[in-house]
Amino acid sequence: MNADTNHTTALDKWRAVAAATGPADRAAAEAGIRLAYRTAGLAEPARVLWADSPLAAVALVRGLTDPGRSVRDEVRTRPWAEERRRLHDTLGPAGWATHWQATGAGLWDLTRALAEQIRAGVTEAATAEGAGADPRTDVSGREAGETREAREVPEAREATAVRLVLLDAVLGQHDAAWLAAFDGRGERLAGLAAVAEHAGWWWPYENVAVVCERPVELHRDEAGRLDRGDGPALAYADGFALHAWRGMPVAADFLAGLAGLTPERIRAEENAELRRVMLEYYGYDRYLAVSGARHEHRDGTGVLWRVELADDEDVVMVEVVNSTPEPDGSHRTYWLRVPPSTRTAREGVAWTFGLSAEEYEPLVQT
Amino acid sequence: MYRQGDVLIAPVEETAVPARAKAAASEPRDARGRLVLALGEVTGHAHAIPGPGRLVREPGPMGPLLLELPEGGRVVHEEHAPIALPKGWYRVVRQREYVPGAYRIVAD
Repeated sequence: MNADTNHTTALDKWRAVAAATGPADRAAAEAGIRLAYRTAGLAEPARVLWADSPLAAVALVRGLTDPGRSVRDEVRTRPWAEERRRLHDTLGPAGWATHWQATGAGLWDLTRALAEQIRAGVTEAATAEGAGADPRTDVSGREAGETREAREVPEAREATAVRLVLLDAVLGQHDAAWLAAFDGRGERLAGLAAVAEHAGWWWPYENVAVVCERPVELHRDEAGRLDRGDGPALAYADGFALHAWRGMPVAADFLAGLAGLTPERIRAEENAELRRVMLEYYGYDRYLAVSGARHEHRDGTGVLWRVELADDEDVVMVEVVNSTPEPDGSHRTYWLRVPPSTRTAREGVAWTFGLSAEEYEPLVQT
Repeated sequence: MYRQGDVLIAPVEETAVPARAKAAASEPRDARGRLVLALGEVTGHAHAIPGPGRLVREPGPMGPLLLELPEGGRVVHEEHAPIALPKGWYRVVRQREYVPGAYRIVAD
């Protein structure tokens, strides 16, 4: 097996770890935690406590009476920094850049965005909870003026406290990018890798480690962004969940309303981002058919459509037919949105590949 | 110029290929030994070259991906018919979709 194949095998493994759902292997995760402490030269934690979600873990951490100081730096940050320096010195700056590109880089944006959304979700839910609401109720419903006024100061204080706890978290499976880069390169990260492979986020303190379960549901689109139209895109066993459409966080009740969409409701939505979500969910093709879209141009590459929207730029789309037939012999038609300045179908299709209408000349298409 | 679903493979004159791209190491092959031009993050379906060749990441107008097929080759995908490619250099372009103020990669 050559070095390139090793890279991709490790990358496949860590891609799967980052997306893993379902119950933790608690024994394996706890063994990893103890190993990580020992590797850092620390005494093993006296207790390992489990939580069902990062939200529950934050509450658990805040309720601990004598956790001792956070040992995140010793357990995670320092060994990583030293391994990185060692590998960087061995490979040289260009070699390190190539190595990172082949291993962690592809996972970095995905896991970082996911971790950011979880942090934001935990902060929002914990803040609502601290102010007396149930974490599962929709926080966007709290609009009444005086209640909001009265809550603002304690909410800000709560939010700060929650963010401080989140800073102590080790991201486990969502540290997959770094772990992929160091896979097979250093025994001293074995404990961290084991926890990441078998559980969710965790919090190392001197006397106690708090570790949480992985999500029970994770739904992403082709680009890896959180995406689901008929339920939470990310959910944990205790009900803590995030709702998102193609990466854009949305409220649970907004998604619930998508099933009953009408063209009138879509037109009436004032928020352009939400209207875009509505259009995508409803189906551009359906919307084109019922909204009197202008069929603007047709040529060998497809059909160009234009929908005029009040107070927003036109939606211009090319309708193209997939060259490869489906198993039943039919050809799938699909729509791609192109810039509003587009005037011909060929210009639109060419734009989707970054070309001008004159440059776009495929010899074979499948 | 060849198109397989959301991937366009456009020939490039060898004289136009930057020297640094010719000297650069290939992107790694996947676990099945293929050069992956584009990977569906969720389905795992890939536009890929099974045979000999090199895939080079190149910033700027030639990139992001340049493909060299010294013996010619074939691009395959789980849901599209394979396309035979003559020997030479190619620029690999992923299809994009407009969103106001930006664009994003199309999911095939």
